[in-house]
Amino acid sequence: MKKILATLAIVLCFAGIAVAQDELSFERKQAIDSLALEKVRDLSKYIKIVGSKDTPYSEANRVIDRAEELFMSDAEIGVSSLHSNQIQYYRVRKYFERLMRLNYDRVEIEWYNIEYVSDLQRQPDGTYVGVITIFQTFRGYDAEGNMVYKDTTKKDITVYVKRKETQIGGRTIGFWDVLLGDMRVKETTNK
Amino acid sequence: MKSKLTTIAMILLAVFVTLGGTTSCKSKKRLAKEAAEAEYKSKVEQAVKDLNAILDDETLWTLEEKEARVQTIKDWNLQNAEVDDLLFQVEKKLARERAQKNEEERLRKEAEERAKSADVMLEKNFRSIANSSSTSQANRLINETMDLFESPNVPVLIIISQAGGFNDYDRPTTIEKYLNYLKDQKVSNNKVNEIKYNDNGKINELELIKK
Repeated sequence: MKKILATLAIVLCFAGIAVAQDELSFERKQAIDSLALEKVRDLSKYIKIVGSKDTPYSEANRVIDRAEELFMSDAEIGVSSLHSNQIQYYRVRKYFERLMRLNYDRVEIEWYNIEYVSDLQRQPDGTYVGVITIFQTFRGYDAEGNMVYKDTTKKDITVYVKRKETQIGGRTIGFWDVLLGDMRVKETTNK
Repeated sequence: MKSKLTTIAMILLAVFVTLGGTTSCKSKKRLAKEAAEAEYKSKVEQAVKDLNAILDDETLWTLEEKEARVQTIKDWNLQNAEVDDLLFQVEKKLARERAQKNEEERLRKEAEERAKSADVMLEKNFRSIANSSSTSQANRLINETMDLFESPNVPVLIIISQAGGFNDYDRPTTIEKYLNYLKDQKVSNNKVNEIKYNDNGKINELELIKK
């Protein structure tokens, strides 16, 4: 009986160590929380740059490449309009290419209230998954400078954060890879 | 008769006292001499042992400790041919070590200064790119900054956390992408943590850390 209890204690001890290694400290968790939020803010800037009619074509294409790198390969971005109840979903590059070609003379896109609606939670495979919500105000202007369209859309973006390793200069670097998943439209208003 | 005997006894006593005192004094001097000789011998042995150990690199002493030891041995002024010969050899060896250490220190300080000035310059360029008033101005600054690097693909590592005694990084990027990132995001939130150079003095790895 004593032997069984001792074995059980050892097993539980090792299990405890394994769990403790999986658990991130508060500071480290905070760092990856911030990193994921930063990636979403980066995306908002890229959308603004590509949407701007002042951005040269070559610059816009370079920015689209950078924006694509923020997403999982199969991620889709939802697009809504006050003129339709339909929500269209596009692959990231397609979304940006459409954004570049929008039929307005000037476009203003602002993102605000960027925050977690679902905190990053560790999944069995070690990936941390969370949902960040954003509000986007879109304004389209005609050649005379009149605002001809405006909407505000609430969107949810799933974020995936995974610990990976790479070799740089002969040493192994452990890094957190943040990738954005689908960007889903939750609601669109004319506010 | 009695008086004669007393006188003789007194004289004999005086002779014994004098002889006895002289013998005792001579014995003390001899002991002191022997002690001094033993001490000298011990010092010579210790000096030879220490100097040989220094010559053969068999001590764990720092250069400063070795120099202090040599000075102590010199201060003993042993006037021993073997010790003098060893001192000559050890002093030459320590002089070489001192020169090498001074050179290393000079190079270390030089590298520190260079890294410090490179840190300052890079961070200034990063801020300037982020605060550029136009794309063309930002691109000009990016090209200038890229000249400091071995290639546009030089890896840039960004530390996001140092909690728990080890570094957590963001996904590694390249200097070209990072400089364009500063232009796009219009903000420079990282400071230089470490710079590595190739033999031509060009940066071949850059490590940044979140402010």
